Amino acid sequence: MERSITTTPSTRRWPTKVAPLLAALLLPLLLAAAPACARDYLQLFVMQPYLELHTGPGRGYPVTQVVARGEAVDVLMRRTEWFKVRTEHGIEGWAYEGDLVRTTLADGSAFQINLGDRAGFASHRWESGAFGGAYEGATLISAYQALSLTDHLKIELSGSQFIGNLSNGYLLDIGFSHVFMPNWRLSPFVTLGGGYERVEPKPTLAQPLSSSNETAYVGVGVRCYLARRLFLRGELRGHEVFTNQNSNEVKNEWKLGFAFFY
Amino acid sequence: METRICILLLSFVALGCSGCALFHRQPKPDANAQAGDSSAQTSPDSDSSPPPSVIEPQVERRSVKVPSIRPSNIELGAYYGEISIQDFGAQPVAGLRLDYHISEDFFAEAVYGRAKAGETSFETLSNIQLLSDAERRFTYYNLSLGYNLFPGEVFIGRNLAMTSAFYMIGGLGSVKFAGDQNFTVNFGAGFRVLPTDWLALHIDVQDLVFRSDVTGVEELKNNLQATIGATVFF
Repeated sequence: MERSITTTPSTRRWPTKVAPLLAALLLPLLLAAAPACARDYLQLFVMQPYLELHTGPGRGYPVTQVVARGEAVDVLMRRTEWFKVRTEHGIEGWAYEGDLVRTTLADGSAFQINLGDRAGFASHRWESGAFGGAYEGATLISAYQALSLTDHLKIELSGSQFIGNLSNGYLLDIGFSHVFMPNWRLSPFVTLGGGYERVEPKPTLAQPLSSSNETAYVGVGVRCYLARRLFLRGELRGHEVFTNQNSNEVKNEWKLGFAFFY
Repeated sequence: METRICILLLSFVALGCSGCALFHRQPKPDANAQAGDSSAQTSPDSDSSPPPSVIEPQVERRSVKVPSIRPSNIELGAYYGEISIQDFGAQPVAGLRLDYHISEDFFAEAVYGRAKAGETSFETLSNIQLLSDAERRFTYYNLSLGYNLFPGEVFIGRNLAMTSAFYMIGGLGSVKFAGDQNFTVNFGAGFRVLPTDWLALHIDVQDLVFRSDVTGVEELKNNLQATIGATVFF
């Protein structure tokens, strides 16, 4: 079989005058059918003795088909560590990523993906997470999103809500974190940044005036790889709140939660 | 004598065959022709110029774009059901949910829901309103981690099988009720079935627990909710 990068046939050029007319007539149909036909699929070639296809995206789903060595599959979509593929005979099934990394692309190079393992934990692009904790005695709920500039350096955006006996409020922070040993299962990091704090005293108090202040923070934390793409993250932060009063305030925050990378 | 005449005639014939080629000035071959035909001919000037290359590569390397693989780990959808707000009766609840499937086992979920609390038995009997209409709004959000405890398949008839999962879920969040924010812990279980690869139907039961003194005594409030929902994978 002759190899090609995609299984989609080459497109034919229509005469210039006919193309707009056809486009106008067929646009509704094209829009309706776009998800089904307008996509090129990655083609992989089976190099191992056979590739097992499961009925669903999970290890417990039964294997009902296999693809023989040398045959090709089109990769239709990915869900977690499972890939839905279609064989040359039109049979669809789910292949495990651990099996697909033993296939090759059309040019003979190995098919490489981030498996979400320890190597992926050390080197990835995005991560997100959610935490519970405390901010100066108030209960804290927090979420964050980080973009990896390098394996060590990340830029982070976090939003938090704190709920206390005397006041509630919000935090919005942006800053950098530096992971010292990203390839360690338990890897420490430091953070540095600034943000914004809004405090809303409860209306039962005598001074129900809300306040908004800029902040700067510094913190330390640790990340612990748990399972595929999932890790624990704990952090301590000290916030310097720039108030309108004579002196600034220092507020402490701790939080612990789960995060995932992708 | 005849032999001398034959030799003379043959000499003329030989000169006639070579013709004017002896006196013809050969044109200088051009560079392109020389490159193409250099393997077949040798020019008298070739000794002084650098030897032409055998093959001039004219074909540019084709840039190959490998199609990307479409990820389908995010679920976005809505739900509707009933929530039993402790002391305030059962009321309809609706909300939005966003899920990210981290692995085949774990998923993260963010939920925002709204309901409107009814009346306590005290309010019904005494006709005294404890809360205003605005304070009866029950809005909440949760950030949760779920675990697909029992993945499986659902069969309808002989020819239709749908992937499914029974999952446990728990997390943290906040409820705004009775004019106050309340830190909330949520936990529960649900069942997800996928009629197609891109559509999922959910049945969920969760408890939203928070501490409140809205009825005069500070205590843990359990707010059970049962919902059905639909989400789209993309």
